[in-house]
Amino acid sequence: MSNVAPAWTALSPALLLGLTGLALLVVDTIRPNARSNTSMALVSALGALASLSVTVWFVVAGTGHADTGGAITLLDGAVKVDTLALFFTAIFASVTALVVVAAHDYFHDHPNPAAFYSLTLFAATGMALLAVANSLAVVFVALEMVSLPSYALVAFLKKNRGSVEAGLKYFLVGALSSAVFLFGISLVYAATGSLIFGEVASAVESLDALAGVAGIGIVMIVGGVAFKTASVPFHFWAPEAYEGAPAPVSAFLSSASKAAGFVVAFRVFTEAFPLGASLAAGIDWALAFAVVAAVTMTLGNFAAAVQEEVKRMLAYSSIGHAGYALIGLAALSTGSAGNEAVMGAAMAHLLVYGFMNTGAFLFVAMAERWGIGRTFEDYAGLARRAPVACTAMAVFMFSLAGLPPFAGFFSKYFLFMGAIENGFLWLAGLGAVNSVVSLYYYSRVVRALFLDDPATPSALDALDVRPTALYAAVVFAAVATVLLLPGFGPVIDAAEAAAAALF
Amino acid sequence: MVPAQWYLLLAAGIFCIGLFGVLTRNDALYFLMSVELMMNAANINFVAFSLYYGDLTGQVFALFVIALAAAEVAIGIGIILVLYRNFGDIDVTVPTEMRW
Repeated sequence: MSNVAPAWTALSPALLLGLTGLALLVVDTIRPNARSNTSMALVSALGALASLSVTVWFVVAGTGHADTGGAITLLDGAVKVDTLALFFTAIFASVTALVVVAAHDYFHDHPNPAAFYSLTLFAATGMALLAVANSLAVVFVALEMVSLPSYALVAFLKKNRGSVEAGLKYFLVGALSSAVFLFGISLVYAATGSLIFGEVASAVESLDALAGVAGIGIVMIVGGVAFKTASVPFHFWAPEAYEGAPAPVSAFLSSASKAAGFVVAFRVFTEAFPLGASLAAGIDWALAFAVVAAVTMTLGNFAAAVQEEVKRMLAYSSIGHAGYALIGLAALSTGSAGNEAVMGAAMAHLLVYGFMNTGAFLFVAMAERWGIGRTFEDYAGLARRAPVACTAMAVFMFSLAGLPPFAGFFSKYFLFMGAIENGFLWLAGLGAVNSVVSLYYYSRVVRALFLDDPATPSALDALDVRPTALYAAVVFAAVATVLLLPGFGPVIDAAEAAAAALF
Repeated sequence: MVPAQWYLLLAAGIFCIGLFGVLTRNDALYFLMSVELMMNAANINFVAFSLYYGDLTGQVFALFVIALAAAEVAIGIGIILVLYRNFGDIDVTVPTEMRW
């Protein structure tokens, strides 16, 4: 199976996303009068699905797998396609497909939706490139390729003060953190003389006088990762950006962009700065991540519990979930056999999260499309008029909380078990306490939807509008969340195999 | 040849000047300039250590960074423009529709 196709075809998931985005931009530029929201949405959804199918095909065919010739490296080793990259590309492509379908209804009266679709696809291309990056230079370029379209997407509603404010705050924190990240890369380059992960790793083993420089560089890189994953101390853009942005963009950022931050973190910290070598140089990044994970999940969950607006609650809950996924890095220990299990569980959690969190934000998008308010009270009684969508929302909420019959439970269970096996009982315990807290605010949504009475009898009249595509995206996300129950075995196996390639 | 550690000090100094500007200025355009300073501090490191190690990677990457910084400024100016149209000011502390 290997070496049948030229090596560059291994990049085709990213290429498909990028080419679709470019094609939309070209068509929109040369035929501005012929633009149609439906065909644009259709083309971008097809592009994302094509990318997803190629990725899934690669996974099934074993591209980049150790059995079929190992990882495929391109461009002098700057790019490496392996099972980890394919796993994350599948998450990015699925979320992109859901978001562009939902955007069809959300932007139904927007004058220029083509820009939205191409920006989304460009950001997704950047994410797919991040997943295959094997050099700090590619990481930085791809990270900017994700960030720049994202800033524009958050501020996409140019006449909406909330959207512009959110875009500004996202840009300010993003530009600052990418400068910090870049300076960190430059210090690592100064200390090691290379940007390729493998060469950095072998140089880290023999650092002497420059260990301090490399250490400061690594701390700065942790900062850049914390921004992208919306973790403490670079989390405070997230509630603003997710609340102010159009809801499909919030869904995209909080699921796909966060997963992109994690793929960088997983790869950079296992391949460029392996824990053993870093510890020998006096750089204990696992401890840094343990502190960040603990603070992030506690802050995210407790702040979410006191919110009055559903979208802002989801934003803080998304910070909390970043904390859970960071356990995948925090609970690593040198030479432990449990490393693959805990990192694989974190990856599986990000996949499940990709569906349930996107679905939850798309439900908010539907509420915004209906034009009902943003608070928990405004959601009261919606289940009477939209039972299917509300059932889907209940599935997302219970799965996000990690209740037993849902996929979110399994990924969290594997994650906490992995942490315990690696000797991080306190981290798993803190995660469990946080999950209990999260049940409170997730169930508030379900109670409002199903049990509470609407404020006025006419409050539900807005629901006469039936945004079909949004409905389809929400229902599909719910179906995927439920199907991940029987499908969780293969997912966790694939995730652990992908993680095993890193150690 | 100037010893390599002097370049590290120069770059760290410029980075700190940029960081100081980011933290103390409210004007969005000053913010952009300060971020540019921080990125160029990184570029000094890349170019200096590229020479030190006799390896071209750093110099080429510095060119990439210059291009990316320009792209970032383009997006930034665009956001500052819509900020001005909506709020009538480019002071970054003015927009407070949402609480922090």
